[in-house]
Amino acid sequence: MPVGVVDLDNSSISRQFIRNLEVMQHSHIVMRLNSHKEAREEMQRGNIYAFVEIKRNFAKDAVSNRRPTITFYINDGYLIAGSLISKDITYLSMVTSVGMQQKVLRAKGVEESRIMGILQPVVLDTHLIGNPWANYGTYLLNVILPGVLQLMVLMMTVFPIGVEYKERTSRDWLSNANNSMFAALTGKLIPYTVIFTVLGIIGNLLLYNYMHYPLNSSIGWMFLATFLLVLSSQCIGILFIGITPVLRDGVTFAGLYGMLGVTFAGSTFPIEQMPVGTRIFSDFFPIHHYFNIYVNQALNGVGIHYSFISYIALLSFTAIPFIVFIRLKKAAINQNFPVK
Amino acid sequence: MKIQQKIPFLTTIFSRVNDLLNVIRNEFQTMFKDRGVVIMLVLAPLAYPVLYCSLYKNETLTDVPVAAVDCSRSKESRELLRHIDATQNIAIFSRYSTLAEAKQAYYEKKVHGVVFIPADFSKRLNSGEQTTVSIYADISSFMYYRIINQACNNCIMALNGQVQVERLNATGITGESATILSNPIPYEGIALYNEGAGFASFLMPAVLILILFQTLFLGIGMIAGTSRGENRFHVLVSSSLHRGGFFSVIIGKSTCYFLLYAAWSFFILMLIPRAFNLPHIGIPFDILMLLIPFLLASIFFSMTVSVFLPHRETGMVIFMFMSLILLFLSGVSWPQSNINGFWKAFAWIFPSTSGIQAYIKINTMGAGLRQIGFEYLSLWVQTAVYFVTTCWAYKWQINKSLKKSIEIDAY
Repeated sequence: MPVGVVDLDNSSISRQFIRNLEVMQHSHIVMRLNSHKEAREEMQRGNIYAFVEIKRNFAKDAVSNRRPTITFYINDGYLIAGSLISKDITYLSMVTSVGMQQKVLRAKGVEESRIMGILQPVVLDTHLIGNPWANYGTYLLNVILPGVLQLMVLMMTVFPIGVEYKERTSRDWLSNANNSMFAALTGKLIPYTVIFTVLGIIGNLLLYNYMHYPLNSSIGWMFLATFLLVLSSQCIGILFIGITPVLRDGVTFAGLYGMLGVTFAGSTFPIEQMPVGTRIFSDFFPIHHYFNIYVNQALNGVGIHYSFISYIALLSFTAIPFIVFIRLKKAAINQNFPVK
Repeated sequence: MKIQQKIPFLTTIFSRVNDLLNVIRNEFQTMFKDRGVVIMLVLAPLAYPVLYCSLYKNETLTDVPVAAVDCSRSKESRELLRHIDATQNIAIFSRYSTLAEAKQAYYEKKVHGVVFIPADFSKRLNSGEQTTVSIYADISSFMYYRIINQACNNCIMALNGQVQVERLNATGITGESATILSNPIPYEGIALYNEGAGFASFLMPAVLILILFQTLFLGIGMIAGTSRGENRFHVLVSSSLHRGGFFSVIIGKSTCYFLLYAAWSFFILMLIPRAFNLPHIGIPFDILMLLIPFLLASIFFSMTVSVFLPHRETGMVIFMFMSLILLFLSGVSWPQSNINGFWKAFAWIFPSTSGIQAYIKINTMGAGLRQIGFEYLSLWVQTAVYFVTTCWAYKWQINKSLKKSIEIDAY
């Protein structure tokens, strides 16, 4: 990630520091600037995400124990870039301090075996459960793919059903199914169930087999979750077109609902930390349960019994269409709803 | 042609303006008569920002539950845990005697992290050796990991500073020189523009611009799809409106959208950030200057694409999911510098990308127009290009409708 440097000292110590910064994992020094103002403007332009300012007389002060400060300016407007760089820089400045201390302690004749204990008495050892590299792709794609999938399923449920009402062909559709709304809906939606489940499974294979993103249990559980996500999204779709058997409204509402789903999945901002009132809504989004299964099965690899509740929640969405069955059927026969 | 030449110049202008007003009036009427369009162009831009801002209202996580496994059970370990518990961001939810028990609690989602203090913690601390504290953090959301790591890191750094001075004292380095040596090069990390590292402050500005763009795009697509679906010849513009001139149709329609969205922009980009305490250090004039090309580019882009939408629902069905992709390609969450060239170029086609970048730079980082030169130019270039494509597309559509009506007349 691009980082800038304002080195007003230009001493061997400051240059050493900058060289060390250059080799850090996330930071890449792209420019050297002459003043704070210049650096700030480059930051506002978006050319750098952070810059280091080393004041004049830095080396002189360091050697003479006057504790010169190194100042970092990190742009947290881009939160992720900011935190990655800040991790690098914090580590580096610690290492620099430690290097100084080591030299002094050696000069004072402190035993080598005791030096590390003095320099860093307690070491923090961080483990990231399931995604030890903090890979952003893992994090992102595991939400984006099901997010896009559920949105498409919603649309492609509302659309084929709504079109029957819009084109006034709903009577034919129903009579084809021997006047059974259940048969009519199932027959209409099964092809989409198959197509989207296959697409979803291809997505799963892409993530876990091709990209080798963390998968700590059987991929079968993810397949099942994907299938249930498709199924439950279809049921929600039926609800939306059932409430207003008007195609245009159905599509609009389904779209707006689908977009909210990504927020309610809970990966961007944890659900527990949202305002209490809004927290309840998350249960009404299939993708929220899918995401729970993903966290449990793929990321954490826990026993399947921890996820049963989520699978059952997904399955229970299939009861939703029954709310609008009668309404849909009446509307199909009477055709008493506006086309527009 | 001959007749037209005889008409005085002023009358021509007058008739053109009249055409224009006619188109604008007509467009406003279609917009507000159509429930779907009202939802998309009025309700969504009003409700969505408020909804999203309320969801992300909490900005950062407070008191994330964490399990503590204290195998040392000493004065020192208890004190460290007390410090960790006292941070704003995390709270010790429960204590366990083994890691396996803590793991169980983590699997049950009772806690989002584990702090493990080894049995020899206090012994090593008191005998001048190095010791380790391990933390295990949930990374299902980056927020958890960030918060847990940061809070523990701060507590341990404070503890280190304290122990260091003690140990230096023991080696005979005392007083001021010990303090200096314990931290010879202090560093100062200054987080700019989003000091609290708030989530809403980071994401919402981008979402706000995207709401403007997507509702505009889908709304225009819906209007165009409807007029095509209901038109006699399945073309975009009915002949009663254009009277042979596509220019007034385009200007009229875009003026209508522009006026509506100028109002929404004021609400979304100026009032919402103030109401929800999002960053708003930009100069309003600069935002206004940015809005003009952003809205124009978005309108012409949408009008161009809308020509290809046969039904009103098509746009929604095909392009709804683009919102997600555009948000991630805009370079807010994953930095733009690390998006590969192809996707960068792809994202550049959409005015939302430059719009988001420019708005964040002005609104969040207080940049001026000078600093957003690239995005600003991009938006004007897009405005010009999409205006030309819109003209071309509309001309094509109008010619098609003329041809068809001539055919029918001849028939």
